Amino acid sequence: MENAAIFGWALLWILFWGALGGVVTPRIYARKDLEISQASFGGAVIGAALGPFSLVPLWLATPKITSRLIGISIALVVGIFIAAFALADPDNLCVANGGFVVSQLANGIVIGIIYGLMALGLTLIFSILGVVSFAHGEFYMIGGMVTYFMTAQWIPGVSPIVAILASCVVTFAIGYVFELIFLRPMGSGEIERPTEYAILVTFGLAFFLQYFTQALTSAVPVKAQRFFPFPRVEIPAESGALLTTTPGNVTIFDAISVPNPRFTAAVLALMMLAALLWFLYRTWVGKALRAVSQDRQAAAVTGINPNSMNTLAFSMGAMLAGLSGASLVQVFSWLPQVGIPAAARSFVIIVLGGMGSLPGAFLGGLIVGLVEAAGTGCIPDATRAAAYIPAYGMVILTLVLLLKPTGLFGREL
Amino acid sequence: MNPAALYRVSGSIAVVILVLLPLASSEMGGVGPLVLNSYFMHLAITAFFYAILASSWSLLAGYAGQFSFGHMAFMAIGGYTSGLIGKFIRFTTAPSELCTDIPLPGNWWLVILNIRRVGTIDESCLDMAKAETLPAGTLIVFPPVWASIAMGLAMGAVFGLLVGWLVLRLRSTYLALFTIGFSEILRASISAEIPITEGQSGLELVPLFPAGILGFSSTSKIPPYYAMLFLFLFAMALMTWLAGSRFGLFVRAIREDEEAAAALGVNIVRYKVLVFVVTSTLAAAAGALQGHYIGIITPNTLIILQMSLVIAMAVIGGLENIYTASVGAIIITFVLELLRTNIEIGPLLIDMTLWRLVFFGLLLMLTLRFQRNGLLFPILERISRGGVAEETVSIRVEEEELDEEEAVADIEAEEEERAASPGNAK
Amino acid sequence: MKMRRRLIWTAAALLILVLALAGCAPQAETVGEAEPAAEEAAPEPTEEPMAEESDDMEMEPIKIGALAPLSAPGAVVGGEAMREAMLIAADELNARGGIMGRPVELIIVDTEGLPERGTAVVERLINQDGVVGIGGGYHSSVGVAAKEVARDNGVPIVFAETWNDTITSVQYDEIFRIAPLSSEVSTVDVKFIQWLRDENGMKLDKVVILTENTDYGIPAAENTTALLDEAGIASVTFSVDIGTQDFAGIIERVKAESPDMIVTLATGEASYNFTQQAADAGIGPQDVPTMCNQVSLVSDAFWTNVPDGNHCFVRRIGLPQQLYNDVAQALVAEYSARTGKDDIESYAMASYDSIMLIAQAIEDSGSTDPSDIIDALENINHMGALGPITFPINRSNTPDQAGVDPKWWHQFPDPAITIVQYQVEGQDATETTVVYPDVYQTGAPIVVGQE
Repeated sequence: MENAAIFGWALLWILFWGALGGVVTPRIYARKDLEISQASFGGAVIGAALGPFSLVPLWLATPKITSRLIGISIALVVGIFIAAFALADPDNLCVANGGFVVSQLANGIVIGIIYGLMALGLTLIFSILGVVSFAHGEFYMIGGMVTYFMTAQWIPGVSPIVAILASCVVTFAIGYVFELIFLRPMGSGEIERPTEYAILVTFGLAFFLQYFTQALTSAVPVKAQRFFPFPRVEIPAESGALLTTTPGNVTIFDAISVPNPRFTAAVLALMMLAALLWFLYRTWVGKALRAVSQDRQAAAVTGINPNSMNTLAFSMGAMLAGLSGASLVQVFSWLPQVGIPAAARSFVIIVLGGMGSLPGAFLGGLIVGLVEAAGTGCIPDATRAAAYIPAYGMVILTLVLLLKPTGLFGREL
Repeated sequence: MNPAALYRVSGSIAVVILVLLPLASSEMGGVGPLVLNSYFMHLAITAFFYAILASSWSLLAGYAGQFSFGHMAFMAIGGYTSGLIGKFIRFTTAPSELCTDIPLPGNWWLVILNIRRVGTIDESCLDMAKAETLPAGTLIVFPPVWASIAMGLAMGAVFGLLVGWLVLRLRSTYLALFTIGFSEILRASISAEIPITEGQSGLELVPLFPAGILGFSSTSKIPPYYAMLFLFLFAMALMTWLAGSRFGLFVRAIREDEEAAAALGVNIVRYKVLVFVVTSTLAAAAGALQGHYIGIITPNTLIILQMSLVIAMAVIGGLENIYTASVGAIIITFVLELLRTNIEIGPLLIDMTLWRLVFFGLLLMLTLRFQRNGLLFPILERISRGGVAEETVSIRVEEEELDEEEAVADIEAEEEERAASPGNAK
Repeated sequence: MKMRRRLIWTAAALLILVLALAGCAPQAETVGEAEPAAEEAAPEPTEEPMAEESDDMEMEPIKIGALAPLSAPGAVVGGEAMREAMLIAADELNARGGIMGRPVELIIVDTEGLPERGTAVVERLINQDGVVGIGGGYHSSVGVAAKEVARDNGVPIVFAETWNDTITSVQYDEIFRIAPLSSEVSTVDVKFIQWLRDENGMKLDKVVILTENTDYGIPAAENTTALLDEAGIASVTFSVDIGTQDFAGIIERVKAESPDMIVTLATGEASYNFTQQAADAGIGPQDVPTMCNQVSLVSDAFWTNVPDGNHCFVRRIGLPQQLYNDVAQALVAEYSARTGKDDIESYAMASYDSIMLIAQAIEDSGSTDPSDIIDALENINHMGALGPITFPINRSNTPDQAGVDPKWWHQFPDPAITIVQYQVEGQDATETTVVYPDVYQTGAPIVVGQE
């Protein structure tokens, strides 16, 4: 980094005015007897955006802090952050190399879609049962394991689609049985402090499933072959300036390249997503699920059995995690431990998107995918950039929990 | 015999046995046929270490209802603080000129060593100073271990205060997620900042008593045994006192119903933060002591697996009682060690190194589901009450039906009830 | 009703605990005298005294300890291979009548790859089980921690696979090593890269190093960087956390550096993930000359995880299979019979040797006193699977006297290091082409990506 000072000062400026705005604004709004639920967070982002130039008018005029105002401010903060970075380090690949940036963005989006699918399962469980499943990563791991063993060991040559369906069945079944035995009693009041109970018991499940898989398989990493390799194509022929594909990769405009397994996984994830939306919005059971998530009592009155909805939601959530695992086992090498970072990332996503919000989970997945891509792509110190990968998401998680625990689309706590 | 008295007596006997146990160690020649080798002593020290962690976590999670997954992070903060002080700080009687020197009263200097390049045996600035700038006869003194441990404790308290304050607004799931985030960020930072923390290879710490003590060498197990035992007993005494005082009453009132407790005038902020500070300081103390005893600390102590071990110990022992949690931790430390033996059932060979953890996870789930108070608590209950084991449960069921306003009063009543009950022996 | 159900479930939970506990009950029999062959660790920490007063000292087995990572976060694959090889060593010793007429009992303990576990298990081996020497050892960080315990107790350890230079350079009497030195390995890597440039006319101005942020990866990358620098080759290092799965971002950065060669020092599944994802992105071993990590020699796992890994160069420790001596041939035959693998991993071979070395040292000294064993080890000349093993730099010939770096202390000076290349897709590791150094060469390297 050449002019690290510029970036440092810009960061300090943003932090200072953000903190000031966050602390002072609610006081001013409270004194004027105005709505203060958004004042702290709104004040913080508005302060961070333009510093005194936006805070002073805000404090004088005290307008209603709308989502649009917050949105514009966040966009401004991100813009200033990027501008400061570009000024500070003009030779950085993220600034100087357009093809690199677009490829990173494409990779971020592609992987973000899959993260989103996994987080969708977690948020579905939360919206119906009100618990976060700490065993989500293990369902992801099992989904991948089943797919690998189906395609490579048990029935070699079987269509990947069959293997993916099998992994759905297995994860759904495990989720179903677990919910019946361990989570069902929560509804009947038999368990005191159900939320904490759910945290611990899913934690126990995670522990059990991980070691059980390790004991059954082994510690050797495995990986499924590419589900659907690309044919070799060059458009236009010979030069391939528009589109070139090899079995493992697709390159568009000679600049953006997306590896085949990721591309396949993202397409699969989008298809699953469409199916899920259809299920939730067009079928009776799906509508019943959403009804329960909105108002349990009212739903029960209309004849929906909330208990069976719980079971369904948990098993479907587990299945969605299994699906993401099944589609990623051709991208990554698979071990019994792969679920841990994946689960951590899902936590980040649902917190960012707002716990229990379906669109939030999807958008959160994209954002986390992009932030990780930006983090690994742009941090100048090559030896550090990658070493901190596990921390990027966690920084988002803690910040969101502190500043706006409801996330982007969450309901009030 | 009155159950409370029975428990007081048996508790005292247990303490006496623990204090006298080293007499039977191989270093002391053993007592009659009973000779405990130093591996047993090592396990005992580790068991106390986990007992401190599990019982302080049970105070935080079971009593105060704050399900933190960052307990091991505070443990690591204690260990790393103490280790980093030992690595980077020296006291000298002359300025080194080459390092960062801070003058102290009485012609002493506090020297902060430079950060060295990774993977090399570069000379530190002080080594160079010894050859070049320092006058002959200059004393170079390592910071005393007790002082660096104390700093570790202080750092644990500071971070406990910070995290406790930050998470005030967050409940149950949100708190759990935040503390996981905190712990993971700390782990990633320790792994990545290799020039400072040595990363995965681990930070080496000086022995607890570098020059030995009372005729025991620095590698003897007996001084660390007593150090850890006394920390354990002190922690238990402190937590017993806290749990029995207004503090314990209030934190449980907050756990059951925060609004109601606030309405009755409980200073929620103060008590919620305080319980965080106390438990994280205890964890940091255990971490610093264990770090010096083992001689090395790595970021792997922060992985979620290690945290789940502590949680499982507390849950299987009995989450809502610091005594059962600590006894659970001691038993499980030994059992997990014993279970590293393969089982042969006919032609089937079960590799217990792996399967013991599978059983352990299953046991954790079943305990939670069917024996919420842990496996030890009901045994104690049955012994002392002669079979009337259901009482606490029935109280709790009634409690849920009470109005919010009565919650605190009810806990007060329950508190009296428990005072008479043995599980909560004071 | 509720009460009864609760009781039933408590009983069930307790039953599981009891069953699990029962698992250790029969251990007394498994360690019985009837079958004093190799046994897994059988701890009995409470009552059993050290059994020194026993009358029939003659039949008392000689106990040798062994370290291996057998559960996560350790490298379990490596640990299991080592365990198998060490069990072969113990069986072989017992089959030929034990040591000095006494049976050998090998006690293998799990280090979990954690230094704190390492100190605990070495403590246990020495003070609980009463071993007279310890072999094996995989993770460097465990070795660094374990050497202190060995020193405190004066019991020798012969490390089979801990590369970190400091383990020997501290010059403890108790510590011996038959694994290569990390810095020497880097030297071979760089010499090979120079050779490619100078002898094969390859364009080589810039190398990208992918390493892991561990005690192995960081110093190895620094050594390599420094040596490349001397050779006039620029390098960029990317360091990743060992759990990293997704390398897309890193790979784009690597691509942007347009390296002439990629060196993967990251081990385990991270190396597989990186190489295959790089291949997908068009800078794999078939596009840019790549030195894959030594884990790629486990060919089954390699081809499963890196189907596009052909043309990988891999550093191999130990002689090429065609140059194996009789000991190694016999070991490979037995190892293949037990595991179904075609070749033996270098560290498994070294683990076997580490146990055999200790056994011979006991025989040479005619004593089970650890200090006598240390004396015998210093003067040993053992024909192992790795070749003739000696420790020329020792107390009678210190590094100062010999004028060498202290890292050569108690260090087996000659673990052969070769560079092999996969030249056919799906090839077995034993059939790879040895391309460097010249003395062992079986074929010319295929250098990809040269216009």
